[in-house]
Amino acid sequence: MFKRRPLQSKSEVWMRNIAMGFLIIYMTIFLIIPVVIVIAGSFHQWNPLNQTYNWIGLDNYIRMFSYPTFWQSMGNTVLFCVIVVFFRVALGLAIAYALNSKLMKHKTLFRTIFYMPTVTPLVAVAYVWKIMYNPQFGLIDNLFGLDINWLFDSKFALPALMVMTIWKDFGYAVILFLSGLLSLPSDCYESASIDGANAWQTFRYITLPLLKPTMLFVVVTSIISYLQAYVPVLVMTTGGPGTSTYLSSYLVYDQAFKQYNFGFASAISLFILVLTAIFTVISFKVTGANES
Amino acid sequence: MKRFLSFCLALVLVFSLAGCSSGGSENGTSTGKQDTQADKGMEVMGDNVTYDPNHLVNDGEPITIDWWVWATEDMFRSIAEAYQEIHPNVTINVINNPWDGFFTKLPLALQRDEEGPTLFNVHNSYEHLLLNYMEPYDIDTDELIADYPSASTHLIDGNVYYMDYGLSTGMYYYNKDLWAEAGLTDDDIPKTWDEFIEVAQKLTKFDENGNMVQAGYNYNNYFNSTVIGLNYQFGDNLFSADGKESLADGEGMKEATTFLIDLYEKYHVGDKDFGTNYDQSFYQGQSAMVFAWGFFVGNLATNAPDINYGTFEIPTQDGETPYAYYRYNGESTPGINKNATDAQKEVAQDFIRFYLASDDVQIKLSQDGGLIPAKSSLMDAPELKDTPIVRTVGPHIDRYIWPGAMPSTVENNLKIAGEDILYNGKDVADALKTAADTIDIDLANADFTSSESLYAYYEE
Amino acid sequence: MKHKILRTALYIVLALVGVITVFPFVWMVLSSFKTNGEIQSIVQTLLPQEAIVDNYMNLQQTFDFLRYFMNSIFIAVVVTVIVIYTSCLCGYVLGKYQFKGKNVIFGFVMMTMMVPWSVTIIPRYTMFMEAGLQDTYISLILPVMVSGFGIFMMKQNMESIPDELIEAARMDGSNEFQTFHKLVLPLCKNGISAIAIFQFLWVWEDYLWPYLMIDSEKKQLLAVGLTLFNGRYSTDYGGLFAATTISILPVIIVYVIFQKRFVAGVAAGAVKG
Repeated sequence: MFKRRPLQSKSEVWMRNIAMGFLIIYMTIFLIIPVVIVIAGSFHQWNPLNQTYNWIGLDNYIRMFSYPTFWQSMGNTVLFCVIVVFFRVALGLAIAYALNSKLMKHKTLFRTIFYMPTVTPLVAVAYVWKIMYNPQFGLIDNLFGLDINWLFDSKFALPALMVMTIWKDFGYAVILFLSGLLSLPSDCYESASIDGANAWQTFRYITLPLLKPTMLFVVVTSIISYLQAYVPVLVMTTGGPGTSTYLSSYLVYDQAFKQYNFGFASAISLFILVLTAIFTVISFKVTGANES
Repeated sequence: MKRFLSFCLALVLVFSLAGCSSGGSENGTSTGKQDTQADKGMEVMGDNVTYDPNHLVNDGEPITIDWWVWATEDMFRSIAEAYQEIHPNVTINVINNPWDGFFTKLPLALQRDEEGPTLFNVHNSYEHLLLNYMEPYDIDTDELIADYPSASTHLIDGNVYYMDYGLSTGMYYYNKDLWAEAGLTDDDIPKTWDEFIEVAQKLTKFDENGNMVQAGYNYNNYFNSTVIGLNYQFGDNLFSADGKESLADGEGMKEATTFLIDLYEKYHVGDKDFGTNYDQSFYQGQSAMVFAWGFFVGNLATNAPDINYGTFEIPTQDGETPYAYYRYNGESTPGINKNATDAQKEVAQDFIRFYLASDDVQIKLSQDGGLIPAKSSLMDAPELKDTPIVRTVGPHIDRYIWPGAMPSTVENNLKIAGEDILYNGKDVADALKTAADTIDIDLANADFTSSESLYAYYEE
Repeated sequence: MKHKILRTALYIVLALVGVITVFPFVWMVLSSFKTNGEIQSIVQTLLPQEAIVDNYMNLQQTFDFLRYFMNSIFIAVVVTVIVIYTSCLCGYVLGKYQFKGKNVIFGFVMMTMMVPWSVTIIPRYTMFMEAGLQDTYISLILPVMVSGFGIFMMKQNMESIPDELIEAARMDGSNEFQTFHKLVLPLCKNGISAIAIFQFLWVWEDYLWPYLMIDSEKKQLLAVGLTLFNGRYSTDYGGLFAATTISILPVIIVYVIFQKRFVAGVAAGAVKG
């Protein structure tokens, strides 16, 4: 890439000032100030309804770390995130690879079908799945002749939410990997087949490394969105049975807008932010390590 | 690309136009007409709290107020309509916001001054969240208490912000058809828990594989509302003697909980996985008996008008009069938003006076809502003599305890405890201990004191 | 021979996944024509015993889902158009201009993508309450006018536009605003489609913020409308099925019609990622 020249015309300077000025002001109002407010709020006992805003130092954090539901929700969130991301990537990659195979026809049809759940609103889908999981008249138990109370059994409730999420979202990964595969240069494959590599070797040593940018994109965007998931919990289990399906973002919702403990909720949400940052860095490191 | 953008722009235009035009019609339909006639030749209502309809509100100018409710909106709407008939310049929009999230949305809406609801239904478990936004009733408190004795328990610094219009409690509802099918008659109505178990077992059916197809008794999704109060029969109050601490981990609650769990796990008269909602299962005729509060009468009328049901009082250990059968609670009158405009508040105050003074209104509320009227003059009203709740618990209502305006944390945490025990296999004592600890923290924040000590037989 | 077996196996597996993907929708639509008694009966059948349309008729009487649907589309289209424009503008400047602090700004934009909604919602709520913007569509549009994701995607897209093209336009005396609107924007068709799709879906799905902000029933959005319906008629499964069908089916139809554009758009944006 050749070195670009500095800004020359007046209109370029104007353009830059308008765009960047807008961006900086906007980000300050809607991001920097809110984060500052949250950080400050996490050191206060803060209830907007009766105008309480009292400095209590680290009490919210101390309470957070000794709050059993907090640790449970964090565990659930990490588990939820890791498993759903794994299946989304694995399923997406496998199906995209199969669809990309020269053997397949009707690619468009399959592609259309797999992406379908992704375009539907999550709240609506969650309601449908909630009824599907009903032990008396739900689709799943009736179809497979099971007798499982999915959403009320602590062994199954969280996995049930995961299955729903994977079903809804795997299509996104299929489409991304498929376009990633389509854009790969075909000469790599030719040289591989000349070298006598088998299908698995071709996939492992040629396709996979070339797909790295797509992979990183899918993994990072998925992690960010799953660490924030709460709609399935809100609609399907409201955290139950007991507290076994509390996800951390649902805990924030519960504490902030049901109990009006804004300060406590702020502390939890900051913890989620830190967790997101750690996970993002890890996924960059992991894909970066594959490079060599 | 250009086409796409212009298409989007066109869409935006169309929708914003549609938005504007409909916004206009919204305002157009909701205003009442000018009222010029103050003297309507109507009778003055009420005994101590009186309402004279022969005056103008808001000088007869059209005015609109919103009234938030969370259920049975038709009932509240008919009351609003009765008021609008007297004052045609007033429009009361009854808005139904579901119970889930009602108290998330309400505090938000109350901060919107004149645009929020002027009237809103209150549940006393959320008193601590709402009090800050409420305007006291502009009615002499002595008159109020003369008509509604329980108003005295709602005096806050000499003012009443909301009070009870009816008393409700739990009782058993049974499906008469399933009852007859099992060969049971009215003589089999259980007085003791042993008899109850016997009846429930007769009403429980399994298929050839041993799967339940009909439950004798179902409390799924209602464990918490059932167990709170059952502790009185099993020997404990809900709160400590100073009224500050929860006894959710006390012996009474432990035994009551164990008893409910045993009904499923030992006597198999129901199942945690059969009919995940007690009410829906009853509507479908799949559960023969459920425990529910008075409001269930209204729910049955709307959701399952074909179910032929009867009610009986909660059984006791030995069939004798216990320390207390169960708890009761008040259904609360609407609150008035203190941030509303003066004109709106004037209308709201006038409406509340009408609401409390009119016997017709109070009878309708108790009849449709399954309540015992809080207005003492209506205790013997012929319309209310034969309602399920009056017939079932009326004779013993003095043996029911009002624990006070219990903050919602009590119900919420016992719900979690119940699910932890039933579905997560947690130990009864552990689960109740966790609940009690969390409740105590929240109670301290809410500055709550139980009213249990006011119970007439508290010393027994 | 080996190919034939492999192909059949592939088809079977993919068809199976396809059936699993579609089946919940089929079940939902069929159930929306059942009576409540049938939906909850112990003996279940896939097809309705007696097909009824009452669920849909009652729905429109008690709940104006068509209106919620239109409101959701309106908000989603407005937000999407705004986000496309701000993303292109910032993406163009960040992708094509060379100036001090550019990398700092871009790095910052990237970091914003990590901030979860749970961090911003409490202060945002406080700010909008203070400003008295509750129950206005402004409150729904204002906080999502800029998307870090969109800027990121458009920057990638802009970088792939040859500098010579832009240089040529400048030589012709076109100022930057003209260049941007007349030359650059049309060149980013695919990237724009990608953002359009993602952004539209995000707005379409968003639940909590509209739930907190919007009070008037007439202004309510679809996702919130669904939960309101369920809260009010929790026993009306037939109605719930009808309501979800109304909120899902039109999107699927639109998607199937335009699926080529959809997929091309997503592909264009992400592969570069």
